[in-house]
Amino acid sequence: MPTIRLENVSKHYGPTKAADRLSLEIMDGEYLCILGPTGAGKTTLLRILSGLTLPDSGKVFFDGADRTRAEPEERGASMLSQTYSLFPALTVSENILFGPAIRGMGEKDKDDTLNSMLDLVRLTERSDAYPKELSGGMMQRTALARALASGCDTLLLDEPLRALDARLRISLRYEIRDLAKSLGLTTIHVTHDQDEALVMADRIAIIRHGTILQVGTPNDVFDHPNSPFVANFVGQCNFFRGKVLSSGSITQVQCADGRSIEAGPSELKAGEEAVVAVKLGNTELTKEAKGYFSGTVERTLFEGKYIHVDVNVKDVGTISAKLPSWRLSKLAIGDQVDVRWNAARANVFPMPEGGLEQELKVE
Amino acid sequence: MTKVNRLAEGRKKTLLDLVSGRRFRTGWKSFIILFFIIFVILPTVWILSYVVTDWSSIQTEVFDKPEIMQVITDAIIASFEIAIIVTVIDIIVGLPMAWIMVRKEFKGKQYLDTLIDMPLAVPTAALGFSCAIFWAVTPDKVNAPDFSLAFITSPFMLIILLHVVFSYPYMVRSLSAILEQIDQTYETAGRTLGASKFTAARTITLPLFRAGLVTGIILCLARSLSETGGTMIALSTMANAGTFETGPTIIGKWKALLSTNPDLAAPLAFVSILLIVISLVLLVVLKLMVMKVRLPAGKVWPKWERTLSRNWVPKLKDGSAIIFLFIFVLIPSFFIFSYVLVSPSAITEWGTFWNALIYSFIIAGIVTAIDIVLGVPMALYIARGHSLKFPQFLDVLVNVPLIVPTAALGYSLGVFWKGVPGIGSLDFVLIIMAHVAFTYPLVVRNVAGAVEEIDPSYEETARTLGAKPLQAFRRVLYPMIKASILAGAIMAFTRSLGETGATLAVVSSANTAPVYIVNLIKADQFYLAAMACIVLIIVSYIFMLALRYVTKRRTD
Amino acid sequence: MPEVVLRGVSKKYGKVVAVDDISLTIKDGEYVTILGPSGCGKTTLIRMIAGIIQPTEGQVFIGGKDMKGVEIEDRDLGYVFQNIALFPNLNVADNVAYSPRVKDRPAEEQAATAKKYLELVKLLDRMSMLPGELCGGEQQKVSLARALATGSKLLLLDEPLSALDARVRMDLRYDLRRLVKQLGITTVHVTHDQEEAMSVSDRIVLMRKGSVMEMGSPEQLYTKPQNMFTANFIGETNFFEGWVKERADGLSKIELRDGSEMSVANCPFDKGTAIVVSVRPEFVFPFTSGLHAKITSITYMGTYWRISTEADSEDEVELDVPVADGSLYKIGQEVYLMVNRKAAIVFPRPREGIAEAISLE
Repeated sequence: MPTIRLENVSKHYGPTKAADRLSLEIMDGEYLCILGPTGAGKTTLLRILSGLTLPDSGKVFFDGADRTRAEPEERGASMLSQTYSLFPALTVSENILFGPAIRGMGEKDKDDTLNSMLDLVRLTERSDAYPKELSGGMMQRTALARALASGCDTLLLDEPLRALDARLRISLRYEIRDLAKSLGLTTIHVTHDQDEALVMADRIAIIRHGTILQVGTPNDVFDHPNSPFVANFVGQCNFFRGKVLSSGSITQVQCADGRSIEAGPSELKAGEEAVVAVKLGNTELTKEAKGYFSGTVERTLFEGKYIHVDVNVKDVGTISAKLPSWRLSKLAIGDQVDVRWNAARANVFPMPEGGLEQELKVE
Repeated sequence: MTKVNRLAEGRKKTLLDLVSGRRFRTGWKSFIILFFIIFVILPTVWILSYVVTDWSSIQTEVFDKPEIMQVITDAIIASFEIAIIVTVIDIIVGLPMAWIMVRKEFKGKQYLDTLIDMPLAVPTAALGFSCAIFWAVTPDKVNAPDFSLAFITSPFMLIILLHVVFSYPYMVRSLSAILEQIDQTYETAGRTLGASKFTAARTITLPLFRAGLVTGIILCLARSLSETGGTMIALSTMANAGTFETGPTIIGKWKALLSTNPDLAAPLAFVSILLIVISLVLLVVLKLMVMKVRLPAGKVWPKWERTLSRNWVPKLKDGSAIIFLFIFVLIPSFFIFSYVLVSPSAITEWGTFWNALIYSFIIAGIVTAIDIVLGVPMALYIARGHSLKFPQFLDVLVNVPLIVPTAALGYSLGVFWKGVPGIGSLDFVLIIMAHVAFTYPLVVRNVAGAVEEIDPSYEETARTLGAKPLQAFRRVLYPMIKASILAGAIMAFTRSLGETGATLAVVSSANTAPVYIVNLIKADQFYLAAMACIVLIIVSYIFMLALRYVTKRRTD
Repeated sequence: MPEVVLRGVSKKYGKVVAVDDISLTIKDGEYVTILGPSGCGKTTLIRMIAGIIQPTEGQVFIGGKDMKGVEIEDRDLGYVFQNIALFPNLNVADNVAYSPRVKDRPAEEQAATAKKYLELVKLLDRMSMLPGELCGGEQQKVSLARALATGSKLLLLDEPLSALDARVRMDLRYDLRRLVKQLGITTVHVTHDQEEAMSVSDRIVLMRKGSVMEMGSPEQLYTKPQNMFTANFIGETNFFEGWVKERADGLSKIELRDGSEMSVANCPFDKGTAIVVSVRPEFVFPFTSGLHAKITSITYMGTYWRISTEADSEDEVELDVPVADGSLYKIGQEVYLMVNRKAAIVFPRPREGIAEAISLE
């Protein structure tokens, strides 16, 4: 299974930079998620990997060999488009056998491949159905089987779950990942859904404006984001602006109204403008202890495992928190609470050049 | 090295590999584009070069001869007046009909759908005769049925009525196509915001409609400006047509006289140039103008518009649209059948007609084959490259032969190939090339339209599954566009079968079926002409049924 | 006032029953979400309220008036479409001012209305742009402003967030609820996204195959679902198959397939009944004794670790452990699991099988 490397790849559409000197390495057998908002260049990246789009400059290597200009059919990389692109005139079986038929596989081998694929995606009973007779989930699985049957060793998935219902999406996450992993495929999965990326990926590459902002394990990008954008995109955050008082293993930041708050380690200089990001799930509300801020509970929303609480803090605005749902009975609207967090789980960044608003834009 | 690469390495190069190579693909693409330019576009507009190469003869033969100049101006003005009036009528009566077809569900809708297309099946030569005996006062020798309306005495009026018949289906079709593309949610959204049906349609759907309206207008204008055979026949059939001529009929007439009167070359060129230039200018102006004009849609009169949306008003509107269809389109189209029933049969001499019909069939067949082989790749190139500049340019260019009146096109093409030794004298080849020039765009448009609607991800997915470009086309795209290719082919075939203007303009003595009918009428052989028309109608109708059958299957 | 009442409403297309005899009352000022998988009839239902589709049977009342024969434009409601449907030929301000315009209100009033509602969704600076120039989230906000500008007190939202990116969706949910609550508007919101439904609603109506499965507040549906489908659809859950071994008030015993025992607080079924116990992952804990299981995967979820296991009882069990404890577990490791007996819910074992009973499609 190939190791894939992109080196300084650029692709422009008029003034739009869909890929801007982008470099990325995908390991042999790895499940990599490319995560980013709409228009970030995710699909372009996938198309360059598949050979459907030629980059303006830069190189694509498969196992060290330069394959930048290789035809799509010569790369052993199958693409699963957002809409699955099942061939409408062919049945499930015929769709799955598309790749083997092209390669001129013998009848016996074709039968074997078909049976094992149908079995793998649990569609044996629907093998003679046409795509339009299938439910969304079945179409998705047929497309997956078709890609696998083509004998590819790289799987390119373009938002494979987008067209499905929210609840079904959650159920199918593990299924796709397990399939790819059990066959040892190198998989590149494009998505805009941060939960999906966290659950499915070995590593996540966060992309914006055609550049990779950060690559790392789910743990890395969630806990140690390298920019306010990444922090916010991989999970909602509360943001606080201020000036750095001191840094080191704990960074102290002074907010505009004089209150001082704490965040994890940094090498920022004292006096520098900074932003502190605290994940909603790491924001704690307490009635017993003193916190960084005090405010009034504005609203509480029950969300299942968590409750979403908005706290209004004078001069700061609304701070939100996700608390375990058993706390619901102990919080009422109008209650006075203190807001605090574990300093090590808060991140601090220098103030972004274009301003925080611009940095956090998710569209 | 990936698994697939290893597999590929051990294999010898096959033909498939050869045609899949980048170099072969580029070569093939260039060939297709060259064909289009040399065999379609250049001959179509070649006559324009006459202005540069032979201006002096235009000066002496046209500008210095007031009587020729007068004939030309009259004919051209009549042509454009007719075309514009016909188009306006078509819009007014076609819009409600399109609305019925797209936005209403009712029993028998598919029958209405067929009825609207019926005139398309009737070759214009037959329509010309049919309309003339229905509407116009005719001389006794014609023997028109007693129950025909027979009150039109103005050739101008008659030609308008005739052109409405065959352009109406085009207008309704193109308006319905646009209407179908406009998401009905917009209107529903308007209504949830408090607008009545009429208000929502007027303030939201109609403004969105404009861009597409241009297509309908251009098609209508072009069809009316091009029409030759039917017009000639109608004029020959009616009483007191006098010296009335349109642009295309004058080309046909002069071309026939060219061999005895070579001085007519310059006036012919001049008429053709005028027709081509004015058509193209009209096209550009329309495209620009329609998008610029702001409809006065600001003010809303809720009470009045509400009344217009309810009760008897919509019913009246729909009713009139359907009545118009019958009285002005359907009955005149098929009136010819009553003629052969009530008129005394004359001696019939079928031999020549069958020969002409077979000749027409052979031409139409060859033309269609050329159109498909060379048009489908062009359609693919245009449809799949629509984000690039050059294919976009070709996309515009491909419309030119559709807009240029076919008589002018035919004359231009004749002049273009005359200079080429060996080809200029082959009537058969010339007719085929002329017919290819104006039917080729039909196939390209049809197929390109179908391909554009198909998500490229099908072929792309096939490629990533290991298919070479040709395999991806053959196994994935082709099955999806097969019906459209067939539809384009049938359209090209019937158009070629019914064409008079281009044929006459390129070879005046050509012996195709429509030309034969024109000649019969001119020789006062009305009964035989009518019988020939009916045979032609039946043949064309069979083809249209086939067309409907395949397009139906496409939508299923 | 816009109370919406559905009485025995059905919609049939030939033999296909899209909506099957639904009766429902949406109170004035309430935020009700109609939730369900694709094809459950939820969109048909909301369209019948709006008058876009006519019911085959039953009646729709808005503000006490029977809506039979009342045209869409006379129902006095705001509607937000899934595909957003902003008029592409009008700019943002003209889109929002459309409703006052078609009612022929004076020009100043039209302009003032547009300004007021655009300000509400914080998009005043986009006023003169065309819809195509905005990004998805902004478009949907304008579409909301346009619906609110009708001045109606009833708002119908047809999958308003489905077309948007996950991250944008998440932010918009909270804005949406805040806005309509602030304006005191009765809202009916259709969605297939259970997380979205939980965040925005006062009450959720869960539909499946044209009928209402269950309705209640998000908390009721999550903590005390009345049937298995609901338990699984509203948030993830573990199912344990077994039989009632001993029934008592306060503490019943369940026997699982491997013979091991599980205690639950509430069991309404008699001894020997085949049942299924539903326990959400946050209520399963590793312990020194209990159900024996083997870890098959460990996933980082940001604020907790999700551990999947295969238990000796053949049930697949997932549990959530705090971030700090993540390093204590490895794939292949053997653990003992306990469940919070108060959080366990007991259902009768469905005849058609568990998979069919909770099937999402």
